[in-house]
Amino acid sequence: MSGDVTLLSATQAEWIKFRSVRSTIMGVIVTFVLTIGLGALITTAVRGHYNEMDPLRKLTFDPVSTSLGGTLFAQFAVGVIGVLFITSEYSSGSIRSTLAAVPHRAQLALSKLIVLFVSLLVVGEVACFITFQLGQAIFSGVVPTASLGSGAVLRSVLFAGIYLTLLSIIGYSLGLILRQSAASISVFTSLLLILPIVLFLLPQSWQNHVAKFEPSALGQSMMSPTTAVNGFGAVTALLILVLYVVIVFGVGVTLFSRRDAGASQ
Amino acid sequence: MITVDHLTKRYGKTLAVDELSFEVKPGVVTGFLGPNGSGKSTTMRIILGLDRATKGGATINGRNYHDLKAPLHEVGALLDAKAVHPGRTARNHLRALAASNKIKSSRVDEVLEFAGISSVANKKVGGFSMGMSQRLGIAGALLGDPEVLLFDEPVNGLDPEGIKWIREFFQSLAKEGRTVFVSSHLMSEMAVSADQIIVIGRGKFITQGSVDDLTATVQGTVFVRASDPPRLTAALRGEQGVVQEINDNGLSVTGLTSDQVGEIAFGAGVVIHELTPQRASLEDVFMDLTADSVEYGSHPTGAP
Repeated sequence: MSGDVTLLSATQAEWIKFRSVRSTIMGVIVTFVLTIGLGALITTAVRGHYNEMDPLRKLTFDPVSTSLGGTLFAQFAVGVIGVLFITSEYSSGSIRSTLAAVPHRAQLALSKLIVLFVSLLVVGEVACFITFQLGQAIFSGVVPTASLGSGAVLRSVLFAGIYLTLLSIIGYSLGLILRQSAASISVFTSLLLILPIVLFLLPQSWQNHVAKFEPSALGQSMMSPTTAVNGFGAVTALLILVLYVVIVFGVGVTLFSRRDAGASQ
Repeated sequence: MITVDHLTKRYGKTLAVDELSFEVKPGVVTGFLGPNGSGKSTTMRIILGLDRATKGGATINGRNYHDLKAPLHEVGALLDAKAVHPGRTARNHLRALAASNKIKSSRVDEVLEFAGISSVANKKVGGFSMGMSQRLGIAGALLGDPEVLLFDEPVNGLDPEGIKWIREFFQSLAKEGRTVFVSSHLMSEMAVSADQIIVIGRGKFITQGSVDDLTATVQGTVFVRASDPPRLTAALRGEQGVVQEINDNGLSVTGLTSDQVGEIAFGAGVVIHELTPQRASLEDVFMDLTADSVEYGSHPTGAP
């Protein structure tokens, strides 16, 4: 029948839902403000103090990841966008009409993933390219600048946008698993903020091997044109983060497929 | 047609639905009646594939809900009118549902118009009254012009005009040959809006039939006024009648027909002033049928 539900039609429906609520619009605005605004703030501060910096730090100074520093704050905004995309369906109860229209759980979960991936990739890349160019303009004349003409620099800026996209999907997957906004946002925040603190308590020799696996450390590696001493290369870091996403989303879809859509929470 | 077959649903230790079997046929409005907590909503969610049955199952025209390729074209459902994202407009809510099942967006305007909420189509659902939400839910159920329709407590929150509208609407759907399955915990509502009634209690099937069938299952009473109530009472009790004194000369008799009461009075030489058979009201029937299965009953005398 021509009306058959397909992945495409389910995705079109989710796209309408995604952009028709204020939380998404607010989330996107906050992502832009944090990425670009804080990026501008950080680069302005660095510009003001660059001449006082000791020579060793000047030597290792990276204008690329410094200008992308706002993403470390924006990652919370994109995480919340991802979480709410599914948990708001549970809190409002609309998950029931959603699943009555698209009964195949995996198909529904995938259609939401596609909407989130594509829209956050656009948002993330636009925000990261703007903040990069703005940062270099602020640095210009005082601090050494980088140019997108360099392959490694271009990769860093592209990967910064991808980092934000993947983190929104981790947020979404946590929402699939936990079904509650507050719980999902707490876990998401803990992964990014508390986990590094816990790892900091480990002996130094362990830290060097473990800390680089943290999501935010992977993000740092992805956004640097060069490889840090105790870090992964950008591509390796990206692959590890993708692996995390596959695992968390896989668990999310499995639970989503098995559980009752149920009575009011 | 909806077929529920030996359906059992357990949530942890709670048995919500217990070996429930029934059929809902097209062409009539079928009421699904039971006290609150009797498993009506659970049964409806399982029919729609939202919850998984512990045992047994439910099919729509012989197929599982999950096997429907375009579910909204075959089944329309209103489960919980308030279960819509409060920040989304009514139109966007319907547009998304329509898009998933490849329903034209012109149909969204049609159902909004039909449900009488065109004027608030671009307002956020969070500000809707219960009645407006019910109408939005009905609009959503109609999107795909389905042959099978399920409504869970659709009358809740509607004003009298809305209730009249929805009753006529159910009847018109049934006349078109559709399967219309409507739940309620109010017998009086079912009595006027449903042709067939399925009664459940504590997740178990109790009975099924037309309104007349159901009232016939409960014994009626006979009201009688006579010249000598004590003598008549004694005579009636002698014939296994259960007699209750109501007022000055009035007696309420169960266990005997009005014909029998008249003959006994004649035999006893009592003059009858009034003799009225009283049929059991539907509420009486319902109370009688579900008396053992009310989860949260009130106890008239002290603690349970």
